[in-house]
Amino acid sequence: MTSIVRLSCIATVALVLGAAASLCARAQTESHPDAAHGDQMHGGTLYGQVLVEQLEYRWKDGHDVTAWDAQAWYGGDYEKLRLKTEGNLRSPQRVNDAEAQLLYSRLVGYYWDLQAGVRHDFRPKPSRSYAVIGLQGLAPGYFEVDASTFVSQDGDLSARLKADYDLLITQRLILQPKMEINVAARDVPELHTAAGLNDIELGLRLRYEFAREFAPYVGVNWKRNLGETAQLVRRSGDDPDEVAGLVGVRFWF
Amino acid sequence: MSAKHIASAWVARLALATIVSAPTIAGAETYDLVLENKTVNITGKDRTATLINGQLPGPVLRFKEGENVTVHVTNRLKEETSIHWHGLLLPSEQDGVPGVSNGFRGILPGETYTYNFQIKQAGTYWYHSHSATQEQSGMYAPIIIEPKNREPFRYDRDYVVVLSDWTDENPDGIVRNLKLYPGYYNEHKRTLVNFFREAGEKGLGAALKDRKMWGDMRMDPTDIADVAGYTFLINGKSPADNFTALFKPGERVRLRFINSAAMSYFDVRIPSLKMTVVQADGNNVQPIPVDELRIAVAETYDVLVQPREDKAYSLLAESMDRTGFARGTLAPREGMVGEIPPHRPRPLLTMADMGMSFGPTGLDRGTPHPETDAPGHVAPMDMEGMDHGAPQASGATHTMPDGSTMAGMSHDAPASAGPTHTMPDGSTMTGMDHSAMGHGAMADPLANDTGAPPGAKVLSYRDLKALSSLYDAREPDRIIEVRLTGNMERFFWSMNGRMYNEAQPIVLRYGERVRFRFINETMMNHPMHLHGMWMLPRVGNGARDPIKHVVNIKPGSSLDVDIPADAEGNWAFHCHLLYHMEAGMMRKVTVVREAAAND
Amino acid sequence: MTTRTLFLRAALFVAVTLTLAPTAIGAEGPPGHTHAFAAVGEPAKPTVSTRSVQVTMVDMAFEPETVKVKAGEMVHFVITNKGELLHEFTLGTPAMHSEHQKEMATMMDHGMITATGVDQKMMHMDMGGMHMSHDDPNSALVPPGETRELTWKFSKDAEIEFACNIPGHYESGMVGKIERSR
Repeated sequence: MTSIVRLSCIATVALVLGAAASLCARAQTESHPDAAHGDQMHGGTLYGQVLVEQLEYRWKDGHDVTAWDAQAWYGGDYEKLRLKTEGNLRSPQRVNDAEAQLLYSRLVGYYWDLQAGVRHDFRPKPSRSYAVIGLQGLAPGYFEVDASTFVSQDGDLSARLKADYDLLITQRLILQPKMEINVAARDVPELHTAAGLNDIELGLRLRYEFAREFAPYVGVNWKRNLGETAQLVRRSGDDPDEVAGLVGVRFWF
Repeated sequence: MSAKHIASAWVARLALATIVSAPTIAGAETYDLVLENKTVNITGKDRTATLINGQLPGPVLRFKEGENVTVHVTNRLKEETSIHWHGLLLPSEQDGVPGVSNGFRGILPGETYTYNFQIKQAGTYWYHSHSATQEQSGMYAPIIIEPKNREPFRYDRDYVVVLSDWTDENPDGIVRNLKLYPGYYNEHKRTLVNFFREAGEKGLGAALKDRKMWGDMRMDPTDIADVAGYTFLINGKSPADNFTALFKPGERVRLRFINSAAMSYFDVRIPSLKMTVVQADGNNVQPIPVDELRIAVAETYDVLVQPREDKAYSLLAESMDRTGFARGTLAPREGMVGEIPPHRPRPLLTMADMGMSFGPTGLDRGTPHPETDAPGHVAPMDMEGMDHGAPQASGATHTMPDGSTMAGMSHDAPASAGPTHTMPDGSTMTGMDHSAMGHGAMADPLANDTGAPPGAKVLSYRDLKALSSLYDAREPDRIIEVRLTGNMERFFWSMNGRMYNEAQPIVLRYGERVRFRFINETMMNHPMHLHGMWMLPRVGNGARDPIKHVVNIKPGSSLDVDIPADAEGNWAFHCHLLYHMEAGMMRKVTVVREAAAND
Repeated sequence: MTTRTLFLRAALFVAVTLTLAPTAIGAEGPPGHTHAFAAVGEPAKPTVSTRSVQVTMVDMAFEPETVKVKAGEMVHFVITNKGELLHEFTLGTPAMHSEHQKEMATMMDHGMITATGVDQKMMHMDMGGMHMSHDDPNSALVPPGETRELTWKFSKDAEIEFACNIPGHYESGMVGKIERSR
């Protein structure tokens, strides 16, 4: 059973990445016929990118985790189709999370994209779907910010804020603090979440950019469930306070 | 004694003495150019370049003023191509910009296209592809036009110095990298290591405050150039290959500098030699001796030098971002090598370079229908400590005593930003009452701070005085606002908040004098190039303001440029940084007869 | 900085330059004092027998470009500026021209001369007791469209050029040769 789940998760991720890669390939071939017809580009060309921000192995006594966080997009300067996915596989086989978002993304200000679309959580079971509205961009202070609100198929409202910062130690050695918080408007017992602040997660990753496109890293990740949610998690047999050392790779193409 | 006598004496002298460094196509009035992909090896790796007649740069075309020129261009590439005659006055049909020039749709693979036009000017110019990314792949070459009358200066030797930047990377890959991550090529970002150094120099508090200020603005003061990894070339030769120009001590040598780089500005100097600038963009100027000059992309400058010693002089063109030199040597004999000094510090942007993002000022845009900024083209300027005193509609410019305009910005920038109110070429600011400007920090739109030692003379546009004025000094019939805009985080570039593909043409009436009021709201230099007509930057020299085809607009500055609309048809108008043009910083300018304009 | 302080600074600067420059032209000396230009000859009063040579200036050239003189000969130069810019006719050795160019650059910087003319007011301003002017006997400033005359008795052996030392002009080739014959 668990191996099937794991396989299907890997397959999902592979599918997502594959689709994005093919979009990318199209972007590159499409820039040529355009020029061959006498009309120059000078804006309006389509591009695409797959960015695997995190693909990492986390050590935590008893059950190690493989986690990922990736985005892919395809589009022009103003409008993009954006795919986000994140999740983790636990070992030994316990609960795992896997979600994907498909979003329409539009530039609304110098630094900000407004995004709307759907999210589907493949895990935990039963899978569920959400509507998403979010804002992604660069906040004053050079913080990369991704803020989303979700409404589930059952009408549950929740929100998530992610922020990270690249602190350059040298041109290639980069320390990245990262923060994530989740809040919910209502209790959702089957997800072990309660109304209010659910959890806070802090990460610190030190990466070395061998190339802009390829950077392995080491780091630590700390996650703590809060309030009611902590109780629910503890009752489910999980630890509401987790610290993990990690090693991983950031890459894009 | 007569003028004719003088002229013939001069011609004789020139004919004897003129030596050209690159192969030329001489004499005939018909010229053949073949465009094809060839393998070149600049850095040690074989790469495919797009070449004219198999040369990098292409062959020098030597025209005569008044001559009727026929050029056959054969396309042996696998894609459409074009040749644009940069700076030449000719009918729109002959200008060679696919999709813009009247009736010109490009030259298809296998096709031979014939250009035919009369040469109406003299001086140093160049030609290049205006299609796809062929120019940065090697498709550029010089044009030298011999004047009908004698030249107002004398020289014994004549060399073309084509400056360019070569990268082994595929240009399409560069565009994509910039779109995906605009900081891709910046290897000089501010780091923790820099921070501790700065903190040591000016104190922890000041260093922190400075970081916070730039961070709050979400701007990077190290963003001097978009693309790096270049090898800088002189006449196609890398610094290691050392282009050599020979002289006999005491001879006057004419150097025709052409900046054919895709993205690189150069600071040009010959240590221990004065250079006397005699032409700018092909037009004679009153001779001005300088120690150094900054050449913007696509500009040309002709200088005279007179090396008197029997030694090698280094001809140095240091890239503005200080990542390299284009280097050659002036030498009395082959095989001599001049010294290369260490790089001077890479500049940092200051608060003075910070854009004045006032948004539209309400002036004419020159477009048939009103245009508003598309979202994301203008950075918000809500950072603390910045006080843009000038309200949006007030015009945001400030006419100085010498007639040039400056940004009416009143930044009370924090002291830590380090903007000092120095005019690096103070000597040319004679007669200016600095106190009357009353700005704590501002960008002098004309001075070039190259890091030259105190007392060294660095050329500024103010020093350029046309030797003979082609046009009267008169007030323009109307003022058209050209805000240089864009998004450095997404790498798209625009004018008045519109990329080329979403903008209307700027429509000018034939015969009118138009003033383009450039307002650079970005933090980068933009060498703005208008095809088919001269640009007269208003630098304070009245009827003797220089006559140019490229005018550099410095970051965060404003400059008025007058354009006598004396050429009918459709013309390209764009930033000559090729990846800025590629990313949208271009417009079509249409000059119509009054009757047609009223339709 | 006000205009006035700028002028004061200019005056000071010129004064210092004059004091330091060994070949300063225009510093009046007592009769018999060895002038800087003595090496190339001395000013003279034309007589009926003095040979007259016409020199035409255009923008950045002299015509003719060589003038033949006999050693010790006295020549009366009639110099006409047919260009649009101010030009100068100065007799001197290359080294003297090179020194004089620095002074001309200073005069240009401080508005005593402009590209097209001479500012008489600036030129004759009292500069704190020092007096800088362009009135040396071996030199004539010729505004566009005007004619000046200069008579000179040439020395026997120095290498002499006639040159325009307005910034950039000598560099552009506005220089001619005095060829000596026995």
